[in-house]
Amino acid sequence: MSYRIDRRTMLRGMGAALALPALEAMLPAHAAAMEAPLRMAFLFVPNGVNVNEWFPKRTGFAFELPPILQPLEKFQDEILVISGLTHHAGRPNGDGPGDHARCASVFLTGTQPRKTSGAGIRVGVSVDQIAARHKGQETPLPSLELGCEPGRASGNCDSGYSCAYSSSISWSTPSTPLGKEVNPKLVFERLFSQGTRPSERRQRRGLQAVYQKSILDFVVEDARRLSRQLGGPDRRKLDEYLAGVRTVEQRISKLEQRTKEELGPQALAKPQGIPSDYREHLRVMADLLVTAFQSDLTRIATFMFANAGSNRSYRMVDVPEGHHSLSHHGNNAEKLAKIARINRFHVEQFAYLLDRLRSIPEGDGTLLDHCMIVYGSGIHDGNRHNNENLPIVLAGRGNGTIDPGRHLVVPPETPMTNLFLSMLDRFGVSIDWMGDSTGRLTGLTL
Amino acid sequence: MAMNDRFPVYASRPLLAAAVVLGVLGSFFAVGLAAADERPSTEGRALLEHFCGDCHFGEGAEGGVDFEKMMASPKVDPFIGPWEKSFNMVRAALMPPASEEQPTPEQRRAMVAWIDGQLARLDCSVKRPGRVTLRRLNRDEYNRTIRDLVGIDFRPADDFPSDDVGYGFDNIGDVLTLPPMLLEKYLRAAEEIVARALEDPQARKKIFICRPGPKLSKEACLRRILKHFASRAFRRPVTDEELERLVALARQVRQKGATDREALSITLQAVLVSPHFLFRVEKDPEPDDPDGIRALDDYEIASRLSYFLWSTMPDEQLFRLAAAGKLRRPDILRKEVRRMLADPRSEALVQNFAAQWLTLRRLERVQPDPARFPQFNDQLREDMLEETLAFFRYILRQDRSILDFLTAGYTFVNERLAKLYGIDGVRGEEFRKVKLPSQRRGVVTHASILTVTSNPTRTSPVSRGKWLMETILGTPPPPPPGNAAPLAEGKEAELLGTLRERLEQHRADPECATCHKQMDVLGFGLENFNPIGVWREKDGRFPIDASGELPGGITFGGPGELMTVLAEARRDDFCRGFTKKMLTYALGRGVVPEDRCTLESIRRQLEQGDYRFSVLIEAIVTSDPFLYRAAKPSGRGMME
Repeated sequence: MSYRIDRRTMLRGMGAALALPALEAMLPAHAAAMEAPLRMAFLFVPNGVNVNEWFPKRTGFAFELPPILQPLEKFQDEILVISGLTHHAGRPNGDGPGDHARCASVFLTGTQPRKTSGAGIRVGVSVDQIAARHKGQETPLPSLELGCEPGRASGNCDSGYSCAYSSSISWSTPSTPLGKEVNPKLVFERLFSQGTRPSERRQRRGLQAVYQKSILDFVVEDARRLSRQLGGPDRRKLDEYLAGVRTVEQRISKLEQRTKEELGPQALAKPQGIPSDYREHLRVMADLLVTAFQSDLTRIATFMFANAGSNRSYRMVDVPEGHHSLSHHGNNAEKLAKIARINRFHVEQFAYLLDRLRSIPEGDGTLLDHCMIVYGSGIHDGNRHNNENLPIVLAGRGNGTIDPGRHLVVPPETPMTNLFLSMLDRFGVSIDWMGDSTGRLTGLTL
Repeated sequence: MAMNDRFPVYASRPLLAAAVVLGVLGSFFAVGLAAADERPSTEGRALLEHFCGDCHFGEGAEGGVDFEKMMASPKVDPFIGPWEKSFNMVRAALMPPASEEQPTPEQRRAMVAWIDGQLARLDCSVKRPGRVTLRRLNRDEYNRTIRDLVGIDFRPADDFPSDDVGYGFDNIGDVLTLPPMLLEKYLRAAEEIVARALEDPQARKKIFICRPGPKLSKEACLRRILKHFASRAFRRPVTDEELERLVALARQVRQKGATDREALSITLQAVLVSPHFLFRVEKDPEPDDPDGIRALDDYEIASRLSYFLWSTMPDEQLFRLAAAGKLRRPDILRKEVRRMLADPRSEALVQNFAAQWLTLRRLERVQPDPARFPQFNDQLREDMLEETLAFFRYILRQDRSILDFLTAGYTFVNERLAKLYGIDGVRGEEFRKVKLPSQRRGVVTHASILTVTSNPTRTSPVSRGKWLMETILGTPPPPPPGNAAPLAEGKEAELLGTLRERLEQHRADPECATCHKQMDVLGFGLENFNPIGVWREKDGRFPIDASGELPGGITFGGPGELMTVLAEARRDDFCRGFTKKMLTYALGRGVVPEDRCTLESIRRQLEQGDYRFSVLIEAIVTSDPFLYRAAKPSGRGMME
């Protein structure tokens, strides 16, 4: 395949960057001098899990890792396995089938999506975007949305739900799914659009500061004038346009404030395209996420390992069947074993990400210490399509605000959004509620 | 007959004969209407009260269908949605639910006929054009528009995030959102497009339409250049005010120390990032006037035509006709359609409409198990796609009957595909027209379709049946109940017998049976084709039985006959479904119950025009929804 990426080249590049003695100098000044900034990421896997092999038997410390979670053994002291969280809004509640689309759009919003395959898509604002709205202006990119499968390109997505619902977990407004970038090359360009060499960056920043702002001022005026001549639904489209302009403006002004040393590892090689190997693809995306956090280009990210209801096959772990077809396992032992292999494969890639984060020293600890990473699915068991007791892992110490190393069991029907509120608190965003939240989640600390 | 009550409307031979006399062979609509004439109108009504009354009459009526209110209303307009819904549900035997008392086929026919009579009360002389939400250019439209605007074809939008899909297509206004990331991409793309355009001799010719000299000042020339470029980019004459603002922008950038060239570059970039370029603007004169209906102006029609048939901006001729105010004339519209379909740019209709209608874009991501199907590789994947696109292209270019999609005895293959199909004497890469073996008929038996409707390790008669109902018959089955039990597979499955036997056990549940009976009989008709479309006589150790019986007692012995039979018995369903898809794509919005008159009028035109492809396109382009615009959106789409 022509666009097969050479990830080794890239990793070599990154390795070189990490080996540079002046690494600390390249990091944002405050990373060394002040308390490290807190980062949050949300990782989504589709189709629920084999629940028999996911949930630990014992609670509290020193629990035994069940088979699917065993790849996390090295990180047992860094993770909190949480049982009992629920997405009530993922249930039909009168809307009938479509659990896959629902579970993805509910995953970070805790809000029931409006059932439509076209007109009037609507769910809630997702937790990452609430964070981005309040804190995103502190970094060049307010947030980063990653994935490995593009939005589905044809056909009905899931029982009358628009494809936007099953292919996007980040929503910046109730009607704006952010989609995600699946091409590592384009993620790289987005992160380092100012160029990777300081001289190149300086030059481009100069040009952009003068001219791009003129373009933006001009088109904003265009949009405002046009908006006055349009009806409601059309005006909303222009609002999306204006929100995009504001994001770009903010980014330009942020970059102007940075000194040249502040931006990212210089030796990071640019990925060439989408790797044909899925494992490679997941790992390159993880590398980019880590780089974005490390360079403080953003502090907020989402990552869809696959779209909701994905029917990808996993031959690398000897599963030729489609994941979604398999997930309707009917308690067949053979199928359950295969699902567990898929789940474990995903968890291995999660472990890879944690490994990368922990390998990067930052302040008096590692980058992972300054993270809150949620990993999980919006469905408990793919066969039952149920939304209680979701499989969720929270990794990282959240700058010392989380005590990991435990299996935390919360009361049945505890809204997942309660966890989000508690994370937002730690992130410095204090809001009263989101989605179906009923309060804060206690138990993240002892 | 067990299946008789599933599609009861086709059952009666005398009625069918009546339909033949009317010259509308096998027409479902005609059957329905004929029945309405023959029966006293009260019978259907009484039956409806009897069978549906418990849940759909008066206070607390379920599902938004209250027959009491609907029957009491002197006007049918406000209830066209619920009437249409009940028509479809009763006709498909999805209502009353399996757990309730069931009408006999006769009674069901009477109910359907009566509802049809209610729908027929809709006054089609009233315009109900519906409303299309402001559409931004999708990725492909952006690429093609840039190609035609500056004359360089380098696909700058391939790096943009993928466009969301609604109603099966990626050009739906409501679903085409604009995430902030996309705006960044627009800025970068504009920079690159203009940089390239100012280097490229061809593109320079399109942009620099004048040169400053003794007779033309620098500013006057710049003004001309900007007026020309912005008018084409905005797909309508730029206003004086807009032009002044563009000139002012160039001046302002110049004053900041930019060169003339840089100033021009920045201003052209601003045009390419302006909402007037990125969105297909159709203004509302009175934005919030709820009853306003407005005829689109000539430039708006030019854009509707060009984006429908070419996925790009209007060409010089369309602009000329728009300037002359001629594009609203039906004769001119028809002439333009014929010209545009003959133009190579109509390839966009193949790549965008056909590929999405037939769900061919899924081919990119199917992963047949290489252990079982070693012949399948990326090369064959491309061949499969090309076959179906070539077939669609032929029907379009030769202006064949759209019924060829169902029954054509020909297709297009190269050596690899010929081998897959067992056709001798085809050598080389080139695709050519060949006659098909008798069991392959129309697009449904193409390897592409048979592959996208299969699982990686086995065929799925259910998804093939569902695909046929959705894509070919335009009657998608409702989604399964959440607690549906899956199909047994693997060792356990062998004990249970053939796939057909297993599926029969699976649908013992009456809740599942209603829909599965319809889906499975169609899907099993295609079981002679394996998951990558190769003919087979056996599945594992079991011989394949691809015979079946359709509602109305119509039997078929295998896939070839199935397609022939469908083309007769379900012709109107196919035409109506195909029309809906094409209308959705043409308008960029979902089809709504209020579009009923439009659909019916197009159906008549198709019938009178031998089902030729161009007749359908011309009928759409001259319809009210294509030429008018309501200030208020209609209800939600009915194709959900």
